[in-house]
Amino acid sequence: MIFSSIPILMVDVAGSVAMVVIALLSLYKATRLREMDPDNAVSLYLLWICVGFTIFAVSRSFGHILKQFLIMTANTETWHSISSYSGSVNTVSFMLVGLITLFFNQNWKINEKILAGRKKLEDTHIKLMDLNQTLEQKVVERTELLTSSEHKCRRIFEQSLDTIMVTDSEFKVMEINPAGIVLTGYSREEMIMKKMTAGSFFADHFEWERISNLIDSKEYILNEEIEFLKPGNETLLVLITGGVDYGAFGCAKSYHFIIKNVNEKRQMERQIAQADKLAALGELSAGVAHEINNPLGIILGYTQLLLKEDSKHKDDLKIIEKHVQTCKTVVSDLLSFSRKGSSEMGIVDINKVVDGVIKFLSNHSDFRNIEMSLNPHTGDMLNILGNEQELAQVIINLVINACHAVEGKGKIDIATQKTKQDKILIMVKDNGKGIEKKNLSKIFDPFFTTKPVGQGTGLGLSVGYGIIKRHQGDIRVKSSEGKGTIFTISLPADNSII
Amino acid sequence: MPQKIPYSIRLILKFIPAMAVALLILLPMDVFAIQLHASSEGIITHQMGHLFFLFSMVALIFTVTGKGLDRQKGWRLIQYSAFFFILWNLASTTAHFFDNQIHAVKIENISFGKIKIITSNDSSVLAWFYYVLKLDHLLCVPAMVLLYKGLSTLVAEQKSRLTKQDTT
Repeated sequence: MIFSSIPILMVDVAGSVAMVVIALLSLYKATRLREMDPDNAVSLYLLWICVGFTIFAVSRSFGHILKQFLIMTANTETWHSISSYSGSVNTVSFMLVGLITLFFNQNWKINEKILAGRKKLEDTHIKLMDLNQTLEQKVVERTELLTSSEHKCRRIFEQSLDTIMVTDSEFKVMEINPAGIVLTGYSREEMIMKKMTAGSFFADHFEWERISNLIDSKEYILNEEIEFLKPGNETLLVLITGGVDYGAFGCAKSYHFIIKNVNEKRQMERQIAQADKLAALGELSAGVAHEINNPLGIILGYTQLLLKEDSKHKDDLKIIEKHVQTCKTVVSDLLSFSRKGSSEMGIVDINKVVDGVIKFLSNHSDFRNIEMSLNPHTGDMLNILGNEQELAQVIINLVINACHAVEGKGKIDIATQKTKQDKILIMVKDNGKGIEKKNLSKIFDPFFTTKPVGQGTGLGLSVGYGIIKRHQGDIRVKSSEGKGTIFTISLPADNSII
Repeated sequence: MPQKIPYSIRLILKFIPAMAVALLILLPMDVFAIQLHASSEGIITHQMGHLFFLFSMVALIFTVTGKGLDRQKGWRLIQYSAFFFILWNLASTTAHFFDNQIHAVKIENISFGKIKIITSNDSSVLAWFYYVLKLDHLLCVPAMVLLYKGLSTLVAEQKSRLTKQDTT
């Protein structure tokens, strides 16, 4: 059968050209796809396919066009000689495309693995980021907590009213808080620069040895009562607690101490104990005095009756009368001490009382070589509610005691003051021999005296103590051996008459 | 654990190469080291290539469906492209079968624009069928166009995906 070859020719040539053009365009698109997603194995696969198709299209189209050209130009024989090569290249090219295509499944699996791996990596990255953020947040929170804790500790250290002291392993001061500076009386620089040890503050060196041995053996000390010596030789009682820190986080061994000032507390306790003792003595004395007072009155009465009637034993009776009178005075003093006596109370000007006492005593022969001075409070009236004679008796007693302390030659200062707390102070100060430390707690005891026998009954200060207590007041003593003594009477001011 | 080969068998296996060498030396004969190829090998190889290409396209269609990629327009177009390539392979294989394999068809150029298709049994149906088969570009060009369109769609989808990622 005869057919027109034009359609075949047209379709063959145009189709071949179109195949090449479209294959190249496909290759371009595949390249774009690959560029946009370079990590995607599928896009790489599509690129390979397009490369295969392009080779296929080019080889096939070239063969077809060449074939048509050679046939048209009556070179059919030439075509027959090269057609085998063209066909072979064509075969290889579409086999290549087929081969690449068959790898799609494998390629897809690889891609899925890559994508799954990437997803896992991204998830892990997100988790890591999250963990990192959490970690950063936690670090910030912990740092804040640490800063806050450190601030709290620092505040406790700085604000504590008790001394907090840190020393190194040789007890040299490393850190001390402001309360410690006040307590010890040394500056921080002085302590650190001079490498002062904890033992430097101890008044007794042997006591420090005992404490340091104790802390080394037991690794702690608890509430040890120690006497500290301040730079001006002033002593004070402290409670010391301490322990060893073997050093965490690379810190060296150190000792930590907490020191509490109990000086005032101990003094107050002593005073309370003294007051309790005197109160008990007062009760006892009152009982004894009351029981003795009546028989003494009877003895004195009968003695005086006999003196009137019988002159034979007059001298003996007079001796009896004299000693009974002395006993009566003692009993009276005891009653005064025990506050059992009654006295009339009125407004008393203390300055006037003190002035009267000085005038009265300055004429006395014992005060000839004594320099007496008065520093009265000026301004307000120093009025109190009390018994003028009793108060004068107390001041006279104190001044006479001061006179004995200076041993007839020295200086006695009497001063009056009014405090902001509405207290009136009367101070009797001498520069005499002072009171021994061991006697300080006994001086207000009835019948306690350091004077030679016959010179004092030992009732003066105890009677004075009783009088002042009856006036709602207080009497205190401060004495340094060899330097002098100061007695301070404190009485509540009366502001009813201004 | 692999079973241990008995000693007797191992002994025989040891002797096989020695026996083969002995036979070659003792009983010599002609050998043809280089195989000769008939002229039909080329067309059979070409036909096999077509069938291989066809098979790979079928595999691609099923793989794309199997992976659920046919939900994307781009891959669907690639599937259509593969389908057209299958048709083209079938057409080409058939044409080659008629003209090169069984020589049932022969073309002669009569003049410019005229050809004569000679069929072995003068069948006009076969001549017409062969004439249509010769227009195979009508199948492979659409296949390439569909491949190009599929790739273009994939590029566009990827571009919009990237734009969306950049926006978020």
